[in-house]
Amino acid sequence: MKVEEREFVIPGQLLAEGDYLLGDGVFRDDDSVRALQMGLADKRGKKIRVIPLEGRYIPQEGDRVIGTVVDDYYAGWMLNIGSPYQGRLSVSDLVQRKVDLNKHSLDEFLEAGDSVEAKISEVDELMDITLEVTEDQRGKISGGRLIEINPSRIPRVIGRKGSMISMLQKVGNCDLSVGQNGKIMVWGDSEEDTERVIEAILMIEDKAHTSGLTDRVRKFLKK
Amino acid sequence: MGKEIEQFIDEDGKRLDGREPKEMRSLNIEAGILEKADGSAYLELGDNKAIASVYGPREMHPRHLQKTNRAVLRVRYNMAPFSVEDRKRPGPSRRSTEISKVAREALEPAVFLERYPRAVIDVSMELLQSSAGTRTAGITAASVALADAGIPMKDMVSSIASGKVDDTIVLDLRQEEDMSGSGDMPIAYMPQKEKLTLLQMDGNFEPHEFEEAIDLAIEGSEQVYEKQREALENKYSKVEEDE
Repeated sequence: MKVEEREFVIPGQLLAEGDYLLGDGVFRDDDSVRALQMGLADKRGKKIRVIPLEGRYIPQEGDRVIGTVVDDYYAGWMLNIGSPYQGRLSVSDLVQRKVDLNKHSLDEFLEAGDSVEAKISEVDELMDITLEVTEDQRGKISGGRLIEINPSRIPRVIGRKGSMISMLQKVGNCDLSVGQNGKIMVWGDSEEDTERVIEAILMIEDKAHTSGLTDRVRKFLKK
Repeated sequence: MGKEIEQFIDEDGKRLDGREPKEMRSLNIEAGILEKADGSAYLELGDNKAIASVYGPREMHPRHLQKTNRAVLRVRYNMAPFSVEDRKRPGPSRRSTEISKVAREALEPAVFLERYPRAVIDVSMELLQSSAGTRTAGITAASVALADAGIPMKDMVSSIASGKVDDTIVLDLRQEEDMSGSGDMPIAYMPQKEKLTLLQMDGNFEPHEFEEAIDLAIEGSEQVYEKQREALENKYSKVEEDE
């Protein structure tokens, strides 16, 4: 590598030369691997990536997202998922079975303004986004408080192997749904718990690039 | 502007403001100064003051302007009414429309537009105070703002002008040199890719002067590049010091 581990890099900066695997946030230019975005360089084995510090959410297959219904079409809904592209969720992909729309109307399932936790099942080359709800997603969600943070900070909110998120839920007395698109739903045991956890999440967003964050957030929640 | 200037370079080889021919004005850039834009930068080049902002990539409206295979880069260059000596009439002009166009073309090659079909990235450069070299100031600031917005780019774009006064090739013309000098050549340059993305010129250059002017401007761009990097780096080191 031509740069230090965790070094701050700017777009176009040379990261390494030769035979490497490309992770997110890098591109190849002839023999060189360069940073695509401003961020922190990171290498695991032969794989180089740049952890972005800023940027809007760009959908990727398999991402869990929280979206808001903004429109419907003949067999489902269009969801705002906080990216330049809306996500399409068909009614059968929501309930995971065939639905006879002669017998049922769409608004029995979802209406404009509803929030949905879903998975991105497909992204095509024209950035048409298809969503689905499997048993791992909640589908329509109700109650709770929805907050939005910078999507590039979401990995810190989840933590290594989910350490931060499980700590937030246990110590903060709440249930959390975290979308890769920067939207987070919080259900606290009490109103104060909700407030506190939201404050903690905003703190993570603010200090995302610093170390020892989990312990500091735990201390904050226990106060 | 008043009196004609008879001599731009004195006996000691110094310019009107005491600079060496190959020295640029002081350049300061600060990244991420606007809360609400996705990316932003404030820049001072000598007496120039510019703010650049970036929004996007976001959904393109009106939809008929969408490109199905790439994002559209919309660039707006604008001078504030109070940026010049005689109040500038607000609103677009022939000049600002042209500069918006060449600035867009200077930035486009650096941005991975094909990653975001149907989207738009809006870039605006507002000149608060102008004193020769505003387009280069605008492009340099816009490039920092794009990086600050996390937009995928092949390289930064660094921009500076060179020119000719008293038959000498000089870097980064100041107002008087621009108005009464004998040539002006703004460039924009991708320092890592070593590619020019903007080359304009007015006045007359001999072929060897032309070569010299380009080489000097490229050298200048590399200095600009270092300032751009510092600006982006400083934004994050500042937060870390808070701890």
